[in-house]
Amino acid sequence: MSARADTDSAAPREDGWDWLPPRLRPRGQRGEERRGRLWRVETLVLALVFALLATATINDLVRQVHINKRLVADLATWRAYTHHDYKNVGVDQQTLGVQSGRDVVCGNTEGGAPNSKTQICLVVTGPTHGGRRTVSGGWYLPPYTEDDVKQVRYGCFGSVTMGRCPR
Amino acid sequence: MSAAAASAQLPAEKRRVRWAPALAGLCGLLALVATVEVVLDGAVEHSPLIPKQPAIAGWLSGLGERLGFRVFLIALLVAVAAYAGLLWLTSKFGEAALPKRFAIALVAALHLVVFVGPVLLSTDVFSYIAYARMGVEHGLNPYLNGPAAISHDPIFRFVGHDWRETPTAYGPIYTLLSYPFAPLGVEGAIWAMKVEAVVASAGTIWLVWRCAMARGFEPVAAIVAVAVNPLYVIYGLGGFHNDLVMMLAMMAAVALMLTPRPGPRREAGAAAIVVAGALIKATVAVLLPFMLLARRRVAPLLGAVGAIALGAIIAYAAFGSHGVNIVAALNRDAAFVSTDSFANEIAHLFGKPGVFPVDHDLLKLALVAIVVHLLWRTWRGYDWVAASGWSLLAISVTSTWLLAWYILWPLPLAVVSRDRRLLAATLALQSLYVIHQLSPLLLPVK
Repeated sequence: MSARADTDSAAPREDGWDWLPPRLRPRGQRGEERRGRLWRVETLVLALVFALLATATINDLVRQVHINKRLVADLATWRAYTHHDYKNVGVDQQTLGVQSGRDVVCGNTEGGAPNSKTQICLVVTGPTHGGRRTVSGGWYLPPYTEDDVKQVRYGCFGSVTMGRCPR
Repeated sequence: MSAAAASAQLPAEKRRVRWAPALAGLCGLLALVATVEVVLDGAVEHSPLIPKQPAIAGWLSGLGERLGFRVFLIALLVAVAAYAGLLWLTSKFGEAALPKRFAIALVAALHLVVFVGPVLLSTDVFSYIAYARMGVEHGLNPYLNGPAAISHDPIFRFVGHDWRETPTAYGPIYTLLSYPFAPLGVEGAIWAMKVEAVVASAGTIWLVWRCAMARGFEPVAAIVAVAVNPLYVIYGLGGFHNDLVMMLAMMAAVALMLTPRPGPRREAGAAAIVVAGALIKATVAVLLPFMLLARRRVAPLLGAVGAIALGAIIAYAAFGSHGVNIVAALNRDAAFVSTDSFANEIAHLFGKPGVFPVDHDLLKLALVAIVVHLLWRTWRGYDWVAASGWSLLAISVTSTWLLAWYILWPLPLAVVSRDRRLLAATLALQSLYVIHQLSPLLLPVK
């Protein structure tokens, strides 16, 4: 597609600006964009910005895939450990630190509405083998607990939970 | 090139042109099939991608299967590939590849398919209706209250959780435009919103055609670039977003300015329409300084000032001072962070967990620098339509709250701008957006 010469003209006023230095005076709308030095610099900057955005996008995609794989493995680990094939199992990657790779996976200990029964929370760590990760510890939460905080936990087990349950 | 080589190349070129319509037809069919797949599967309840909504497309629900991430992303990729093929064919061969009537039929078919289906991928349309019902049915000011104020209203359960406490961020003209839909009931209002979005989209595409003609571009390629774009069809039109109404105002203003000899009345009208567009969704206001700088006449300035005054009076009369202060709503929304924003992705690239307050300030600074550069370029003769498009693109790139339909804003301007880099950049960023959605596709199949 190539642009026709300036057809949206009704050219703007260019007189009355003589008091400005020539480099600062306005110019009429051009029919074609000139490919001068400024155009080349702009194009270079655009290419660099695109390279940065593309790198960031790919990096974030890979990061998301890793997180999703970890989530899938966490759920499989919880179901295998508890022998419950419940759908409503929550995975928290924040409680023990996003970068730590240690996730807390909570779900009901018996059938019922989500969060309506005593919950078992497992601390899942390490790499994925056979679609599962390692259970390094955990704790229990009473029914209807909204926030998994230290004060409400009980029955902590495993070394990784040291200091995470009230004495 | 020798004469023999030239004559040998000619039949090959002709053969390629002969294949072009068949290939374009195939691409058009693929785009349509992918859209039909998303709509039919989306009509089945309990999809994680489809917002909870009344059974407005229930009659389609027996034809598909529940829409999952994998099928959705495959359909999206097919639509993207078909779009890329059509874009290449129409820009290279024009009507020889896709005759005008076929292009219009394809665009109409895509609109029809999306129109009859469910609301796709976004709860925004339910917020629009909630704000309208707050004003009309409950006598509440939507600039002061969030939808939670009408939690007993039947629309409330469909409003997105994140927006239940949030007063409207849309312009007063849009809010008033949506008021007549409120008494139609929830389902009636959804259908009215759908009609509004489809009519606005059709109007935008018609104006893109006119602007492309005015500038000597291939109009078929121009409307294909906008109306077959998968993000436009599935996310923009599929969500029935008011961005389409804003884009209609934007293109109406551009079309007025691109008429051969606009004259003071048309120039004033164009500037007034931009202001009206900004009173629908504020983003489009960015066109105004470029329009004024390119023309350097009194008429558009007067048109803009008159429209601002009239708009302020209407907004104040309808909603009080909060209806006038749309900058406050914009500042509030600018603080949000979406996972798809480029700012968030760059933060992750540099090992940060997300965007910090200082990053918001840096991004605003970058946006100001870009707009100032574009204003200077326009002053010195750069195409104001392209400068406006770059500004809209810069807004979406520097925003920490990026949604698919935000990167549609510059698209109609890009196809009629004189700087072809704008179209390339817009499509490149849209591609990155699509790539960022693909993570569910890269998980092992159960």
